[in-house]
Amino acid sequence: MNALLVAEDVAVFSGERLVQPTTLSLLPGRPLTILGESGSGKSLLAQAIMGTLPRGLRAEGVATIDGRRLPLSSGAGHRPLWGRILGLLPQEPWLALDPTMGARAQVAEGYRHVRGLDARDARRRAQADLDSLGLAMAGSKLPSELSGGMAQRVAFAAARAGGARILIADEPTKGLDVMRRDDVAALLMREVGEGAGLLTITHDLALARRLGGEVAVMLDGVIVERGPTEKVLTNPGHEYTRRLIAADPAVWSGRPGAPAAGAAVLEAARLGKTRGGHRLFADRDFSIARGEIVGITGPSGSGKSTFGDVLLGLIEPDVGFVRRAAGIAPVRYQKIYQDPPSAFPPRVTLRRAIDDLVRRHGLDAGRIAPLLDRLRLSAALLDRRPSEVSGGELQRLALLRVLLLDPAFLFADEPTSRLDLITQQEIVELLAEVARERDCAVLLVSHDTELVEKVCHRRIRLGEEAPG
Amino acid sequence: MGPVSRIPVSRILGYRLFQALLVAVTVGLLTFVMVRSLPGDMAYRIAAGRYGYDMVSSDAANAVRAELGLGGGGAAALALWFLDLFRLDFGESVISGRPVLEEIRHQLGHTVGLSVAAILLSVLLGPPLGIAAGLRPGGALDRGLLVAASMLRALPHFVVGLILIMLVSAGLGILPAAGHGGTENLVLPALTLALGLGAVSARVARDAMVQVAASPYYAFGRVKGLSEARVFLRHGLRNVSVPVVTYLGVQFVGLIEGVVVVESLFAWPGIGHALVHAIFSRDVPVIQGTALVMGMMFVLLNAAVDLACLWLDPRKQAS
Amino acid sequence: MIASTIPGPAPSPAPVPMRTRIPRQRLIGVAILSGVVAFAVLTPILWPADPARQSLRHALVAPGWSEPLGTDHLGRSMLARLSAALRLSLSLALLSVATAAVPGVVLGILAAWKGGLVDRSLSLLGDVFMALPGLLLVLMLAAIAPNAPWALYVGISLVLWIEYFRLTRATTRTLIASPAVQASRLLGMGPAYIVRRHLWPEIAPMILTVGAFGAAGAIMAIAALGFVSVGVRPPTPELGLMMVELLPYYEEAPFAILQPIVAIFLLVLGLNLVAGRDRI
Repeated sequence: MNALLVAEDVAVFSGERLVQPTTLSLLPGRPLTILGESGSGKSLLAQAIMGTLPRGLRAEGVATIDGRRLPLSSGAGHRPLWGRILGLLPQEPWLALDPTMGARAQVAEGYRHVRGLDARDARRRAQADLDSLGLAMAGSKLPSELSGGMAQRVAFAAARAGGARILIADEPTKGLDVMRRDDVAALLMREVGEGAGLLTITHDLALARRLGGEVAVMLDGVIVERGPTEKVLTNPGHEYTRRLIAADPAVWSGRPGAPAAGAAVLEAARLGKTRGGHRLFADRDFSIARGEIVGITGPSGSGKSTFGDVLLGLIEPDVGFVRRAAGIAPVRYQKIYQDPPSAFPPRVTLRRAIDDLVRRHGLDAGRIAPLLDRLRLSAALLDRRPSEVSGGELQRLALLRVLLLDPAFLFADEPTSRLDLITQQEIVELLAEVARERDCAVLLVSHDTELVEKVCHRRIRLGEEAPG
Repeated sequence: MGPVSRIPVSRILGYRLFQALLVAVTVGLLTFVMVRSLPGDMAYRIAAGRYGYDMVSSDAANAVRAELGLGGGGAAALALWFLDLFRLDFGESVISGRPVLEEIRHQLGHTVGLSVAAILLSVLLGPPLGIAAGLRPGGALDRGLLVAASMLRALPHFVVGLILIMLVSAGLGILPAAGHGGTENLVLPALTLALGLGAVSARVARDAMVQVAASPYYAFGRVKGLSEARVFLRHGLRNVSVPVVTYLGVQFVGLIEGVVVVESLFAWPGIGHALVHAIFSRDVPVIQGTALVMGMMFVLLNAAVDLACLWLDPRKQAS
Repeated sequence: MIASTIPGPAPSPAPVPMRTRIPRQRLIGVAILSGVVAFAVLTPILWPADPARQSLRHALVAPGWSEPLGTDHLGRSMLARLSAALRLSLSLALLSVATAAVPGVVLGILAAWKGGLVDRSLSLLGDVFMALPGLLLVLMLAAIAPNAPWALYVGISLVLWIEYFRLTRATTRTLIASPAVQASRLLGMGPAYIVRRHLWPEIAPMILTVGAFGAAGAIMAIAALGFVSVGVRPPTPELGLMMVELLPYYEEAPFAILQPIVAIFLLVLGLNLVAGRDRI
C-alpha cells in the first residue's frame, strides 16, 4: 500500500528545538494518532507537516504528499494542496467558523471555489453534507447559534468539501462533552472507511482507543513510543505511556468506601432554577454530610455549576431554599474554580494574596509551610503572580488558600477540566485525601462520569434528558 | 443575508427616539437658562443691534423683551418655552428678524451637502488604506499610515483647514479659500473634515483587518483551499466592515463638532456657521433652532449607523 | 500511586519576568510633553515679558536676538504670548480632566457595584450628556457665561466625565462577575479589598489613557472655541485665538501663525502618544 503522506526528519525550532526530528507515514484506511499532553509539541509537529506553523517558528525536514516532495524549511508549496489534498479539522471549531456567515455557506464555498462547482450545485452538495451529519435544519444558522458538537460537524463538512483525501484533526475533542467524543470518532472513522488518510492529534486516550490504527506517544518534543494502538495502550513499553494510561479515570482504583456518618453541613429542598427560558433543574432536594464527597455530572449547559453556586449562596434559586448547619462560620463554605488563574487577584504575587487572607482573618501564618509540604508545593512559587504558575500548581495553591480557612463544605467546580490527565489525577486525589483528613464535605462537579464514579460516595445527575 | 427581523429595529429606533428627546430637553433647558441669564440691558443691546443705536426706543427694547420672554415667572415660562420648542416654534432671529425655521431651511441644505461630501470622501480614503495596511502589518504602507494618521489626529479640524488654505489657495491659486455653497467651494471644507474622519477610520480598519487576518476562521478559510483574494472577500471584508461602521457612530461626534468649526473657517453658509454667529451675538432663538437641528442630525446619523450595522452583521439580526 | 507520579515539590520552570518596559511610543510622548511644559513654565522665569504689551512700531518682527520668536501684528512678544497660551490650555485641560476623573470613576464603580436603580439612573445621566456632541454643550455654556473661562472648564468637565464613567462601569461589571472577585468575597474579603486588589489595578492604567485623550480633546476644544471667537476673549493669549488673529498676516509673517499651530500639534501629539493604544 502506498503511503499518502510521508514526513521525514521533521523538526520545529524557535531558537531552541521544540520538536526533535521525527519520521512518520500515513497509509490510507489506517489512522495515525499522536498522543501527548499540552506542551509536548504534538500540535507543532502536525502544523509543520501541514505548512501552518505560526510566525516565528521554523521547520526542518521533508514531507512527501501526494507524490510531491515539500522541503519544510521554506514553508512554501503547501498552499495548492490545502483543501484539495490536505484537509484540516481545526482546534476549537467554534472559533474556526466565520462568526458572520451561515453554516451552509461555509461548507458550500469549498465545493464552489475549490472544486469549481456552480453556485447551485455547491449549495446542494453542502446541504446534502449537512443532512448526512444530522444538521439538516442548521444550514442558515450562525456559529454562535450552534452547540459545540454541531460546530464541530460543520467544520468537519467544511474541511473536506474541497475533496481532501488526507485529514489532519488537531485536538478534535477539545472542549467537547465526553458524550460527543464518540460522535467525533465515528465521523473520523467514516472518512477512514472511505480510504482517506487520518492524522489525529489528541490528549484524549479514549479517542485514540476508538480510532485504533497506529499511535505515537509524544513527550517533550520526542516520540517516546509508537506502534499499533491496541498494543501500545494495553501493554505500554515506555514509563511515560504507563503513567499516562494509569492517570485515566477509567482505570483508577475503585469507589471509596462509605464515609463515616457525620452531621449534615448543608441542606437544600425543592431547589429550582430557570435560565434563559431553559429549565436547568427543578424540585431538587440535597443534603451533604461532613467528610462526604458528592459528584454532579451532566452535559454542558445542564446547570451543574449553577447548582453548586446556588448551594453556596452565590446565585439565588427561583424556588426552594438552602440551609447551612448552625454554628459554622460563613467563610468555611468555599469553592475551587475551573480555571485556576482566573480565581486569584491577577496583579499581585501569590504570597501577597495569601498574606492578605491571613491578616484579614487573623490566621496563624505558621500553618502555610506545612500545607505547602502536604500539597507538594515549593515555597518559591509564592513569589510569582498567578499567570506565572502552571495550572496544576495553581490549583493546588487554590486548595491551600481554602484549607487555611478549615472548610466545612467545598464546592469544586470542574477543578481539573483545564488540566492534563496526570495533573488531573494528582489534584483529584489530593482533594479526596484532604476532604477525608479534615472531615470536609466536597461537592465535585465534572463532565467525566468515570472520574466521579471513582472518587465520589454518591452521584447526582443533571439534565440527562436535555438535547445534545 | 436573512431578512432584518422587527424586534432589533424597533429597539434601535426606540433608543434613538429617546436620545432625540434628550437632545430636545437639553437644548431647551440650556437655552432657557441662557435667556434668563441675559443681562438686563440685553434687550436694549439686541434692539440696538437690529435697529442701529440711533433708532433704539424703549418701545423697541420692550418688543425685544416680550419676544424673548424675559418677563414672567419661572415654571410657567419654562412650560411655555418647551411648548414652543416642541411645536418647532423658535420665533425670529433677534439679529436678522427673520423666522428661525426659514433660515435653518436654507442652511440645512448646505450643512447636509458638506457632511455627506465629507463622509463619502473619508470612506473612500480611510478604510481602503487601512485595510491595505492591515493586510501587511509592519510594512511600508502600514508604518507610513501610522505616522500620517497620528499627525492628522494631533491637528484639530480648523488647523487642518488652515493649513489646507495656506497650501492650496495661496500656494496654487486653484481653489477659493472661502465662500458660498458652490461645488468648487465645497472641496476644501469637505476635504478638511474628511482628512480627520479618514485618519481615524483608517486606523480602525487597519486594526480590524489585522485582527481578522489573525483569526482562526481566516486561517481556516485558507486551509479550506480558498485563494487569498477569495478569503478576503468572503471572510475578511464583512468582518472588517462591522467595526468600521460601528465606529462611524463614534466619529459622528467629531463630524458635528468639525462642521461647526470648519463652516466658520470657510464661511460656509450652513447651520454650524449660523450657530457660532448666534452664540457670539447671543441670538437665543437661532441658538435654540440650530443646536436642536444639529443635535437631531447627530441622532439621525447614529440611527443610520445602527441600521447599517444590523444589516451588515447577521449576528445582530439573530439575537 | 501518587508518590510514584510526583517527583516531589519541583516547581514549574521560573517564568520570564512580566514585561514592565514602557513602550517607546509612550516615552516619545512623555519627552514631547515635557518639552512643551518646560517651555510654558520656564519662559516667564527666564524671559519675563508682558504678553499684552503692544508696540505697533515693532509689529510682525521676525525672530531675532531681542525677540526670540518675533512679534505679532500688534508688536506683542510671541514668546510671552505663546507660553502664556500654553499655560492657559494646559492648566484648563488638567483641571477639567482631574475634575472629570474623580466623579467619573467613583460613579462608574458605584453603578456597576450597586446595579439596579442606581445603575439605571446613573447610566441615564450619562446618556443625557452624551445625547449632544460635546462641543455643542460647551458652546451653549459659553453662550450662557461669555468671557468666563469657568464656563469652558465646567462644560469640558461635564463632557469628559462620561468616558471615565462608561469605561469604569464596564470594567467593574466584568470584574465583579469574575471568579477572582467571587473567590475573594467567599474568602471573606470586604469591598475595600476588592477595590484595592481587583478593580484599581485594572482601572488605573485606563485612567491614564482616558485622561491623556481627554486632555488632548479639551485642548482642541478650547482652541476651536477661541478660533471661532466664542471662547477665551482677546487680549488673553490663547492658541486658537492667536491663529485667527494672525491668519490675515500669514503671507507677511508665516513664522507667527506657524507658532501656535506647531504648539497645539506638539501638545496633542504628545498627549496622544502618552495615551498609548488607540481610543476605543
